[in-house]
Amino acid sequence: MKPIAVKAADADSIARLWGELRRVDRLRAGEAVMLDVSALGGTTAAFEAFFLALDRHAAARAAHIEAIDPKGLLAPIRARYDFAAYDGAAPTARKHRPFLVAVGQGVCDWCTSARANCAFLGETFANSLSMLVHPRRFRFRDAALAFERAGFDGLPITAMIGFLLGLILAFESAASLRMFGVEVYVADLIAIGLFRELGPLVTAIILAGRSGSAFAAEIGTMKVDEELDALTTFGLPPVRFLVMPRVVAATLAMPFLTIFAELAGLVGGSIVLQLMNVPAVVYWRHVISASTVFTVSLGLGKSALFGLLVGLIGCSAGMRTRNTADGVGVAATAAVVGGIVAIAVADGILAVVCHLLGV
Amino acid sequence: MDAADSIISVEHLDAGYPGVTVLSDVNFTVSRGEVFALLGGSGCGKSTIMKHLIGLNPVPAGKITVAGLEMNRANRDRILRKIGVMYQSGALFGSMSVLENVMLPLEEFTRLPPAARRTLALMQLELVGLRDAAEKMPADLSGGMKKRVAIARALALEPEILFLDEPSAGLDPLTSSALDDLILRLRDTRGVTFVVVTHELPSIFKIADRCAMFDRARHAMVALGRPSELRDGSADPFVRKFFNRGDSNGS
Repeated sequence: MKPIAVKAADADSIARLWGELRRVDRLRAGEAVMLDVSALGGTTAAFEAFFLALDRHAAARAAHIEAIDPKGLLAPIRARYDFAAYDGAAPTARKHRPFLVAVGQGVCDWCTSARANCAFLGETFANSLSMLVHPRRFRFRDAALAFERAGFDGLPITAMIGFLLGLILAFESAASLRMFGVEVYVADLIAIGLFRELGPLVTAIILAGRSGSAFAAEIGTMKVDEELDALTTFGLPPVRFLVMPRVVAATLAMPFLTIFAELAGLVGGSIVLQLMNVPAVVYWRHVISASTVFTVSLGLGKSALFGLLVGLIGCSAGMRTRNTADGVGVAATAAVVGGIVAIAVADGILAVVCHLLGV
Repeated sequence: MDAADSIISVEHLDAGYPGVTVLSDVNFTVSRGEVFALLGGSGCGKSTIMKHLIGLNPVPAGKITVAGLEMNRANRDRILRKIGVMYQSGALFGSMSVLENVMLPLEEFTRLPPAARRTLALMQLELVGLRDAAEKMPADLSGGMKKRVAIARALALEPEILFLDEPSAGLDPLTSSALDDLILRLRDTRGVTFVVVTHELPSIFKIADRCAMFDRARHAMVALGRPSELRDGSADPFVRKFFNRGDSNGS
């Protein structure tokens, strides 16, 4: 085999030599690989790693190294490291878990998560009852702050999305209804669509993105910073202290935001209809006649439920934050994804229930 | 050690988490009014022991008695009212000012009027030398100041025992020494018992009356006594090496 001549010991030069190991792997038992380090003035960590790897590859083939080493650079390296300990350290192909093990692990993880969620829900429910008996224990100031952030601070974006939603609904539906000369009924469609379905749904998705993730990140950061442990050792249950104010704030903020989103949507629709020469008076008269107390109440009830879900899921994700570099990010993502899925599922169930009840 | 004088007693404790035993058969007592250090290298289980002592982790096997009460689910809340904890990071609540942090336990557990709570909290801050930082937010404080505020907060309800997790970690030698002085002053003036998790040798020799040392390799408590006695008289090579900063001869 051609000798391996090491001209320089810097990392880039050694990187080029690393391919020589493949040639060593083709050696037969008893053969030798020549290593010429006579050009080197000293060693580097990169060279030491290469020498160790070369030695191990040769040993694996029952071959040996014949060194040209006039300055005696290699002996100290052998003395410094336990070469034999690196035999099992070579990178191997990624091990795949057997399918059944992966499924079993997945089911166990799901059960653990479900158990944690049930415990969290139970604790939150118990705390809610306790608050009803001892209202003084409720952190009104924290709830007001959370309401300000989830509600007032979210107002501009929610109103803007609601306005655009009304605008788009009006455009899309007017195009079809105009063919029949009944574009005035776009007002009814927008009012019913927004109050009953789209207003609460879109607002809840915005709340999950803004506040659900914020709740998870805030509580998650507190957990990583040991603040939750500090509360616990003060004898203050983190659920009462951190979760209750946020859940109550989200539940109250949702109807508040939904009303503004719906009003903005109606304004958006009125602009489109005016462009289509439908008088504003006629538009608003149709909107008022279509907006029954039941329709509006159903929408607001839904929105409060969605707010509750977003608050619970955001806080639950925060409380389960792992103490790792990506822990808070993972918790925030879980809060948003979990929140949106829960909203969609709850909305679907409510739609079926309303259909069965004929309302 | 007079058993009647002990405020903490640990008997045959297996410390760890569900499915993982970090330390086996740990036994020691802490006397009222002493500074007791839990020593050992990183990852040896010092903080795990402390989490059992403060009720954050359930006791897997063995018995822990704190201030005359056995640590279990039934007694945990009563024990928590008798202890205070300073966490490594300080664990101050970031959304509250320094004063609000110290007032929080008073607000939750006493019926003191707001003016009294404020005065009491300011006095605790004065005790730790941070009276002037009362209106600052935790983010505006240095590492050492955060730890002092955490001590003031932990002292607010006048605990019998104060647990400190790595009080010197991340502090320069002068700040660390000032914190040690504060611990000794509080022990002398307030009669508080301290349990300190640390591996800082200068701090151990300055403040600890006694210490227990743990070894990760043996999963066991390997020494118990006065720091100077362990340094000068221990037969255990690990203990000698630890106290002599890695010199295995112990010279």
